[in-house]
Amino acid sequence: MEIFIAQLISGIALGSIYVLLVTGFNLMLLVAKIIQFAYPQIVVISMYTCWGVLQLTDNKFLVILAGITVSIILSILSEPIFRKITSTQGVDINASFIASMGMAMIIMDVMSHSINYGFPVAFPPEWIGGNLLSFGLITVSKGQLYALMGGIIAVLIFFYLLYRTNQGRFFRAIAENRYAACLVGIPIIKTSIFSYFIVGVLGGITAILFSMLIGSASPWLGEFVALKMLAVSIVAGLGNLKGGLFCGLILGILEAMAMGYISGSWSNAIAFVVMLVIVLIKPQGLFGSRI
Amino acid sequence: MSEVLYYFLGFTAIYILMGWALYLPYRVGQLHFLIVACMAVTAYFGGFAAREWGWPFILLLLVGISIGAIIAFVFSQAIGKAPCFTVVIVGLTSVFIVKTVIENWELLGGTIGFFHIPTVKYLLPIIYILLLIVGFLIYKIDHSRLGRAASVVFVDREVAVSLGIDIKKLGMFFQIIACAIAGMAGILDAFFVNSVSPEFFTFSMISYLMCILFVGGYTTMWGVILSAFILQGIPLLFPSEVASWRQVIYGALLVIIILIRPEGLISRKMLWGLKPKFSFNNK
Repeated sequence: MEIFIAQLISGIALGSIYVLLVTGFNLMLLVAKIIQFAYPQIVVISMYTCWGVLQLTDNKFLVILAGITVSIILSILSEPIFRKITSTQGVDINASFIASMGMAMIIMDVMSHSINYGFPVAFPPEWIGGNLLSFGLITVSKGQLYALMGGIIAVLIFFYLLYRTNQGRFFRAIAENRYAACLVGIPIIKTSIFSYFIVGVLGGITAILFSMLIGSASPWLGEFVALKMLAVSIVAGLGNLKGGLFCGLILGILEAMAMGYISGSWSNAIAFVVMLVIVLIKPQGLFGSRI
Repeated sequence: MSEVLYYFLGFTAIYILMGWALYLPYRVGQLHFLIVACMAVTAYFGGFAAREWGWPFILLLLVGISIGAIIAFVFSQAIGKAPCFTVVIVGLTSVFIVKTVIENWELLGGTIGFFHIPTVKYLLPIIYILLLIVGFLIYKIDHSRLGRAASVVFVDREVAVSLGIDIKKLGMFFQIIACAIAGMAGILDAFFVNSVSPEFFTFSMISYLMCILFVGGYTTMWGVILSAFILQGIPLLFPSEVASWRQVIYGALLVIIILIRPEGLISRKMLWGLKPKFSFNNK
């Protein structure tokens, strides 16, 4: 029972990271009409930025600022590329997926060549924090708590923005019908650019929380995370924000449980087998696609 | 023949086969990465059966094709007419699951790989003969009713349904042919390199295949041939310092081609332009 509770806490913390990732990914899909496969690579490069700044200073505020800034910059830099694709080829989601795969290849190779000689980086203990609570086998680390709390707060703010502000109404209107939104005077390009900004902020927050949770980063991390993000998004139903919340959390818990009871190397495979079975049974996703 | 040229020609042919395996399901708008999982399965099976059980190459080639086709048949029951990204995720998760199984299976060499697969005489000419046969079959499919039906499905699924095209059966057909080709490519790869490693079947390989398909052009089978030779040649043409950044080069090529020439280097329109034009007025 102790292992179960410990893994459940760890799973919810990991799940909240997946929720943040899937939320950002779905926002891009709904508003900008693109599949941003390179989004997790942007998160990983922000993690590397945090690590780099931590080598220079202990000031956590500066580290957080640097992580979020890099994520925003990279996200906004990708906007003209995707805008060109969607403007010349209509709304071609496949083309955006291919281009973002190219971006992911570039970012991954740059990280594996240039940063720390391609070796994984480890975050200092003072960044991760020690154990907060410990009852027998049950331990709750500060990293887990930060990931959990940070994830909940970020998602709550995001959903407040989406459902309680004018900007959020613009987002939802574009997601529902791009042309109708344009006809009623919603600034499509401006709103689209703002969505890249929001996704950049979410990416930066994800990077900070993820680095606190797992304590390391490697050039290949983005590849795994991208796969999980896409899988969660498809299991939930492409573009389904609420479905993404549920499935992201479930994936985190499932993965943590597998890690607790099965050999480490098999734990990821178990989560993928479950997702594969769901996709094969329900190709449109559990909650239905919004695209 | 020099060793470099030998490997260049061999790998290029294997990648052309894999590029075609990706090209076929994309005719109906599906990015079918299950081909990479099929290639991994047959490469390991072929290597193991040849080394441990002494199975002959020709038999393994047939078994490889059959394994690929059977795997695809089973999966295509569920994803025959599934949307593109459902097919993508089925492929990606399958690759990851197969890789995890291989890495944890000591009998197959685990993370190190499987070595000392017997050599086959005249393998390079055999690979090119098979390439010609597969190429001819794909050409025939492309220029048949099936090929034209696939083009309609790619452009508009609703129109295809109204024309009486069975999208699921068509998707299943292309997926099965693609995985059979990938199964064959797996056997050829295992015998060509005399070893198999799980490191070969990763995201890098999927990205590379995407580059081959989309840089060359996804609307005709000829684009894959052109881009496989170009992309395979890049590491040989440039100094090693530049060649080590080939993933960046491939990634940049992919982004640039989507931006400036979305249909790839060789498009169907371009081929129509090259065809001689006949007119009844000309004498």
